[in-house]
Amino acid sequence: MRKLVELKEELEKCVKCGACRSVCPTFRVLGRETACARGKLTLIDACMGGAIEMSEAYLKHLKECTLCGACRDTCPKGVDTVAVYNAARVDAVQKLGAPLFASIVFKNLLESGRIMDVALKIASRLQGLIFKDGTLESGLLSRFSLPVIGKGRLLPPLARQFFLETSEARGLPAPAKTGQLKVAFYAGCGVNYLMPGVGKASIEVLKKAGADVFVPAGQVCCGMPAFASGDAAMARQMALKNIEVFESFECDYITTSCATCGHGLKHMFADVLSAAPELKKRIEAFSAKVIDINALLVNVLKYRSAGKETGGKLVTYHDPCHLNRAQGVRNEPRELLKSNKDITFKEMAFPCSCCGLGGGLSIVNYDLSIEITERKIESIRASGADIVATACPGCIVQLRDGLHKYGVNARVAHVVELV
Amino acid sequence: MLSETVKRELKRIVGEANATFAMEDLLCYAYDATNSSYMPDAVVFPSSAEEISLILKMANSEGFPVIPRGAGTGFSGGSLPVDGGVVVSTERMRKIIEIDAENLTAIVEPGVVTWELQNEVEKLGLFYPPDPTSLKFSTIGGNIAECAGGPRAVKYGVTRDYVLGLQAVLPTGEIIDTGVATAKGVVGYDLTRLLVGSEGTLGIVTKARLRLLPKPETTKTLLALFPDIKDAAKAVSAVIRAKVVPSTLEFIDSACIKVVEEHAKMDFSGAGAILLIEADGGADSVEKETVTIERICLENNASSVRAATDKYEVKDLWKARRAISPSLHKIRPDKINEDVVVPRASIPDLIAGIEEISKRHNLLIACFGHAGDGNIHVNVMYDKKNAVEAASAEDAVVEVFRLTLRLHGTISGEHGVGTTKSRFIEMELGPAVIDAMKRIKATLDPKGILNPGKIFPKAKGPEKAEFAVAGKQTQ
Ligand SMILES: Cc1cc2nc3c(=O)[nH]c(=O)nc-3n(C[C@H](O)[C@H](O)[C@H](O)COP(=O)(O)OP(=O)(O)OC[C@H]3O[C@@H](n4cnc5c(N)ncnc54)[C@H](O)[C@@H]3O)c2cc1C
Ligand code: SF4
Ligand code: SF4
Repeated sequence: MRKLVELKEELEKCVKCGACRSVCPTFRVLGRETACARGKLTLIDACMGGAIEMSEAYLKHLKECTLCGACRDTCPKGVDTVAVYNAARVDAVQKLGAPLFASIVFKNLLESGRIMDVALKIASRLQGLIFKDGTLESGLLSRFSLPVIGKGRLLPPLARQFFLETSEARGLPAPAKTGQLKVAFYAGCGVNYLMPGVGKASIEVLKKAGADVFVPAGQVCCGMPAFASGDAAMARQMALKNIEVFESFECDYITTSCATCGHGLKHMFADVLSAAPELKKRIEAFSAKVIDINALLVNVLKYRSAGKETGGKLVTYHDPCHLNRAQGVRNEPRELLKSNKDITFKEMAFPCSCCGLGGGLSIVNYDLSIEITERKIESIRASGADIVATACPGCIVQLRDGLHKYGVNARVAHVVELV
Repeated sequence: MLSETVKRELKRIVGEANATFAMEDLLCYAYDATNSSYMPDAVVFPSSAEEISLILKMANSEGFPVIPRGAGTGFSGGSLPVDGGVVVSTERMRKIIEIDAENLTAIVEPGVVTWELQNEVEKLGLFYPPDPTSLKFSTIGGNIAECAGGPRAVKYGVTRDYVLGLQAVLPTGEIIDTGVATAKGVVGYDLTRLLVGSEGTLGIVTKARLRLLPKPETTKTLLALFPDIKDAAKAVSAVIRAKVVPSTLEFIDSACIKVVEEHAKMDFSGAGAILLIEADGGADSVEKETVTIERICLENNASSVRAATDKYEVKDLWKARRAISPSLHKIRPDKINEDVVVPRASIPDLIAGIEEISKRHNLLIACFGHAGDGNIHVNVMYDKKNAVEAASAEDAVVEVFRLTLRLHGTISGEHGVGTTKSRFIEMELGPAVIDAMKRIKATLDPKGILNPGKIFPKAKGPEKAEFAVAGKQTQ
């Protein structure tokens, strides 16, 4: 991964045209130059050059960003803003000696099936005491005012049984050698701890599509949250561990139903491990196999839904930034949805605008994060859809919270659950 | 430097959270799209004319500069705090107050982004035509202050033509309402028009009453490729002569085509110039007009003319067209960007003259822009690290200005004078005109606190000697 000093030329490429102001979700809410790419790049440059300290204000502006990549997409000069932000976060962590947020959690996520799982399971028993069912698709609302969580925030309940422990996942430890395409399924934390249903639906649809799907045990967090917090060392360890786990199987594809994990596996692993040339071939072989589940279903397995009862009629789709911008997967989920004759697909306004969760923003500044979501929810409301489909557990969490908060009665589902 | 009392007062006026003196904030309000930078002493985010009035009154009594700022996308340095002072950002004043579909007017605050207004009025079947290429991020206030124009100006005119009235705070702090809510009005001097294009030097706009039109029924986009740039220029004049008024008539030369190809992933090989032409209105008339335009292009040796097939292609073409200006740096590291205008019939002469200047100085001069109204963006490409090249670039720009004026044109069609062109206004304006302008400024702003250092050249001197500084302004 390129260090911040090596990205100086990216900073110099910026001509201060201001085009990035038109797309930045945090700028839209905050309305201050310091929120958009032009401002952030200026501050990063100033901090590198010593014109400003690595101050509270500097870090605040650095963190007020969902790493959605909209600015990079729109920049006529092609400034790789996200690479600069990531490098600046890593740089800050190195100088400050602590991740920008949530370090303890990451440490536990490195250990698959161990301490974290136990701790979480206890938490899942306790959650009934602290939270009450928020009714809206049984999200959880805190019974008491809990400052760490944010007022009125609808949190997804922890699964009673984590996906990787379900019989569906455990029953598929290795390819069955059916002669079909061998597909390894990577669950990711969202699916594993919060949405085992999405994992099960993924397996089901992959089987229907004619894949020899299996779920390697021992897989751990992809490291994207740690990476966003600037903790590149932690992300590196997670990347290595996952590569080892998946390497031990022969397979044609590695797929996931999490947009963020997919982006992590496909791009971030190579990035954080680039300092180790001896790993290059292994990483390349690994990354080349990674493909998002929508793209795998449509482009490789040529899957079309035979129709499926979803309990809704009008379905719209939200583009996760890490799928649309980071992996270029836009049409595939739409094609999948449209192939289900039992639903009508309707495009919402601004389907690609960020949901507000990413880059750790919902942790460091929940109020800002959920305010970004408001625009999305307005689009959903205006579309009249009763189901919002998307392809990332992170977006699902945020959209559910947003729909609840802004009072829109629609259900959120993963594409794989609807086809 | 501002005194502690002034700082405290500023906070009191706009609220603690809306006044900042932090280095981190100042750095981000020091630049605009000219890519040069001057540190302000404070940035404030007022929410009303009353607050701005108090700030300006204090500026007069305490003697500090006040610099109005919209989105900071100006190409002439208008929002740069060249003498420090307090930047007044309109970023919090971004309400569309009213859209009146019966009277075809809208009332907006200055910080509204142009595209957001267009989007809202179009939902009601209405139309706000001014479309600077920066419309997705520049503000109505900035558009008014620079009298921004865009591709549609050939048919619909520029920002000035859509401002019915303004609420503005004068440099001395009085809040005034100018103009009318009616289709006409002649009572007193036309202060609205005085403020439009005044580059934030005569008042701060706090509300604007804008004129709207019914939205054209349909639009058709044509793309005409010309092997020879001179034929493209002739086609522009011929279209205008044929009394067809396209809604846009954009010209893109071969250097810019490369940039477009890259952006839109399209292949225009063999083209020496492209015309991007749109006709809008009722379906029948659009059809008739595009047939005529196509015929004229072919008569002028276009190698191909075709209609954009779907709305995505149109979107892509415009996205690519908008990317030209900031992307030119891919060709050469630096550029001097000018937006000269000549009478439309003189476009072939302008293009031929620029080609000659380019050859003589051995410099690439990339041209694109709103050919339909005679406004061509002339970009002299060079490398500022190469002293010889930098010096010829300076000469070339002065020659382009001379050529423009010889053709009865003007040296800036829409970007304004600001800091980047102030040393040249004497080439175009006579001393009596400049003097009249200075007297207007002195009357309204006796202390010279509102956006100082703009438009008027600071000290007299030969245009070239001062150019060294301008070379730095490579947006
Ligand atoms: C990529 C790109 C393309 C562009 N294309 C075009 C184009 O096609 N046509 C065109 O005309 N321009 C164009 N521009 C230039 C620029 O976008 C316009 O001049 C625009 O109107 C500036 O608006 P702004 O909100 O950014 O104003 P700023 O740059 O912030 O300010 C511009 C001037 O307006 C003054 N000002 C701002 N708000 C107020 C207010 N409320 N009251 C009084 N004064 C105020 C400022 O003091 C300053 O002098 C382009 C710029 C870029 C970067
Ligand atoms: S769009 Fe790109 S070049 Fe323009 S200001 Fe933003 S980062 Fe800089
Ligand atoms: S990555 Fe997204 S949130 Fe961050 S600066 Fe760019 S556009 Fe804004």
